[in-house]
Amino acid sequence: MSILETPRIYFTGQMIWDPIVTNNYAEFYNEDTADPAPPGDPVADFRKRAIAAVDPRNWNPHGTHRSNFLAEISGVDVGGGLDTSDPFVGAPANFLGMLVDAEPYGTFSSQLFFDAIQFGIAGGYRVTCPRRWRAMSRYINFNRNSWNTVKAGIASTIWQTSIPKDCGLQLDPHDSPALQALVEALADDGVLGLTVRWNTYRTIYYDDPTVRTNSGGQLSIDAQALIAKLNLPDSFQPNPARSEMVGVIGLWREGEPACEPGDRSLLAQLPNEVVATAFARVTNDVLVIDLGNSVTEVDAQLTKQDLGTLTVCAMSPDGSTVVEELGTLAYSQYSRCAYLATSGIVELPLTASAASLAATAPLQVRSGGAVYLAEEVVRAAPQTQQIIYLDQGGDSVSATLQVLSFGEPAGAGVTVTRYTWDGSTATLVDTAQTGADGVASFDVAPAGQGAIVQYIFTAGADAAEPAFDPLLTPYIYARTLPNDSDIGAKAATWDNVYTYVLSKWKAMAPCMDNWLDLDDPTQVHAFGPVLKKLTDPGNFEIYRYMPVTRDMTEGERLLLWTFLDAPLEPGAGPVVWRAGAAAPKPRRDLQALSRLARS
Amino acid sequence: MIRLQATPPSNVDDAIAMLQTAAAIELGTLPPYLYAKFSILPGTNPAAVDRLGMIVVQEMIHLCLVCNILNALGATPQLKAPVYPCTLGDVGPPGGEPLTIHLLPFGPDSMAQGMAIEEPEEVPPYQVVNLLMASGGAMTIGQYYALVDAFLGTLPATAWTPDNNQITDDQFFAGQLFAVNGYADAHNAIQQIVSEGEGAKDDPLDFQNELAHFYRFGEIFYDKVLTKIPEDPGYQWGPAPLGVDWSAAYPAIPDPGSHDFSADSKAAQAAQAACNAAYSGMIDALQLAVKGEAGQLGAAVRKMFELRMAAMAALQIPLADGKNVAGPSFLYTPTGSGASA
Repeated sequence: MSILETPRIYFTGQMIWDPIVTNNYAEFYNEDTADPAPPGDPVADFRKRAIAAVDPRNWNPHGTHRSNFLAEISGVDVGGGLDTSDPFVGAPANFLGMLVDAEPYGTFSSQLFFDAIQFGIAGGYRVTCPRRWRAMSRYINFNRNSWNTVKAGIASTIWQTSIPKDCGLQLDPHDSPALQALVEALADDGVLGLTVRWNTYRTIYYDDPTVRTNSGGQLSIDAQALIAKLNLPDSFQPNPARSEMVGVIGLWREGEPACEPGDRSLLAQLPNEVVATAFARVTNDVLVIDLGNSVTEVDAQLTKQDLGTLTVCAMSPDGSTVVEELGTLAYSQYSRCAYLATSGIVELPLTASAASLAATAPLQVRSGGAVYLAEEVVRAAPQTQQIIYLDQGGDSVSATLQVLSFGEPAGAGVTVTRYTWDGSTATLVDTAQTGADGVASFDVAPAGQGAIVQYIFTAGADAAEPAFDPLLTPYIYARTLPNDSDIGAKAATWDNVYTYVLSKWKAMAPCMDNWLDLDDPTQVHAFGPVLKKLTDPGNFEIYRYMPVTRDMTEGERLLLWTFLDAPLEPGAGPVVWRAGAAAPKPRRDLQALSRLARS
Repeated sequence: MIRLQATPPSNVDDAIAMLQTAAAIELGTLPPYLYAKFSILPGTNPAAVDRLGMIVVQEMIHLCLVCNILNALGATPQLKAPVYPCTLGDVGPPGGEPLTIHLLPFGPDSMAQGMAIEEPEEVPPYQVVNLLMASGGAMTIGQYYALVDAFLGTLPATAWTPDNNQITDDQFFAGQLFAVNGYADAHNAIQQIVSEGEGAKDDPLDFQNELAHFYRFGEIFYDKVLTKIPEDPGYQWGPAPLGVDWSAAYPAIPDPGSHDFSADSKAAQAAQAACNAAYSGMIDALQLAVKGEAGQLGAAVRKMFELRMAAMAALQIPLADGKNVAGPSFLYTPTGSGASA
């Protein structure tokens, strides 16, 4: 079972994004040292520069990183097709998370830290999903909204998390047939819990849909208006972006990755990737395809591109020859109306013989002679750890990848190869073999200094050396935070704590000032227990962890905690600016990852 | 419930006057709700904090929506901060006393007061409104809004001024705050305000299928989750508890604005001054925001954060009796700009 099987529940609406983006740019942030740039820039000067840079790039220096749904349940399917009469339809979908990029300069490492997703309300129809794993952004589609090139407006992406049924997952079905069916299905031993997958697209900035490029008068007008607001003293001026969204709640079965799609991967086809990677499954003589991230909207009215009638074909094992046309999808099945109704999931009924063939033949989706999607039969996907945080000198972490063959866990002995990717070149690292469960494990060790490394993977001994493409290539990120032992060894004076820890937060994340005056030693010290709780590595996954950017080093934490544990030194006063802060540190060359979206 | 005396408006000035009163009520509900929320001990009562937080945010939104309607009618919203205890214009039931609104710490009394403020009429409001339109009289907040709504629906398009000092959701309250550029928008705003406060007819859910304020207060008051049941009347309180711990609250005195702080410590006096300064700054920034000054809603929100911090500090300073503390008095003093300027 997966979200491509029934029962499943659809939701739709908008998603609001409010990240601080100042750390997206090398002029403001050093990814390796996890420090504001340049070192020693006074907080007030840093903030002035950050505000001045709003026009044209730094669009949200007062962000909070908060990201939330404005959505509701839009339909259900318990096996008989779309049903909008279930009483669960119309229930609110509530999600509040913190959007954090592990690799802030780029766009491939976005993640949402959250505590719970709730569909419905307490006392009524409800699905409560406590967080087990962060929601991950995967399969970024840079072809999605080519008419909307402002910031990341061109792109769409898949978000996914899964919730084990023994981790507090709660369903209150009352008389909802859909929720009752979900409860029944969850009792199956092969079902591990629920998966929540959603797709965000058509992102607009400044709440101004007329701004569609990174150059032009209206963007500058909007940016200057924001700058004027930001220059108001003692004010808080977030500038959230907003996306359209569709989503699905369904079953998470054994052998499926938790935080990105599994099933059968129908990959986008180079060179143009007209249709972005989709996911398919054959069940009960129905071929179900998730096109949620796949078909472009061609205009601001969000009209879906008319690709004509799509033909789904069963191919020969090498993918070169059509064995049988399994069926067709008319435009009406992937149009805007259909997309909103079923969150991009389409169904193609099959005859019994066609279903049997489709189970073991590579699939392709074609139209008019063009191949839009082609199945990669054997494929690896990170199980749960798409992004790994490490400490310099700390422990390694084991990253596991699930290898799927025709959407089912592969057996033992499949070779999975790991490479590093520096933005242009893949460098072989090592290989691992799958066990009987189709899982391969890799040791991810911390770097010798602060660094962000992207690993990409292939499955199969004869797989070609890959070049990274988010629609094609499995990948993980590993961010090593520097130890900063020199900072940890400093005397725990207010002066040092402010200079080496809190001034960085105050510069980069003014929203923290809304909660606490970071340059007030009395206030900071008074909130010591809360600060220690929120900066505790054991609370790294919670929504309110500080700093929200998850880039606090061990040395910084040691210095802060030592200060908080000791009595407040007499005479400590608010710090305007302490000169001679962090010394410049060597910085590696920047990876050329999706900088376009940061312009 | 709060009962307001009103007669059907006969002209735009009447409607504007009623909307100014409505804005005063929306503003006036914030301090009692905030006082209860602030007085909850940190880290306790998460369900109550969550519900009170949502109510406060929605009251802020309601205030902005009412001001949007006023601006769309060409009027200038005037925010008047009340002094507590006060009646917020309540005339009381026939032969009875008006509902006096107090600043009360978190506890059954403050939650009962919240329910009383938000209490819906048993009969469908709009049907009652039709009756009231003929005769006028005392009415609930929902009926009062309906009366305004009915009149606004009679106005010609020329009565509305589009794009006049509107506050939208571009920075705060995404999806819940929108511009009023004509009657359709005003009608939607009034529906949102009433349904979020009182719920829909025979239904505790508002138009977004979330619990209305009256029932959120009720969940805390009864310490029971309002739960759907198959038989009439469709819902019941519990059996699941909400998880309220009445003891997990600061021993805050009621109505600190009526308390004489002269015998209390300098720290307590300074804490009150800090609270009042933050509150006054918030009111003044709000006033500028609803007059159309860009960025002032962000200034008001920042002051709200300052007020929260000042309240947290105040609630930890013992008063002279050695037993109690005081939350913010919510006493407005002009800060040199905004409401009183």
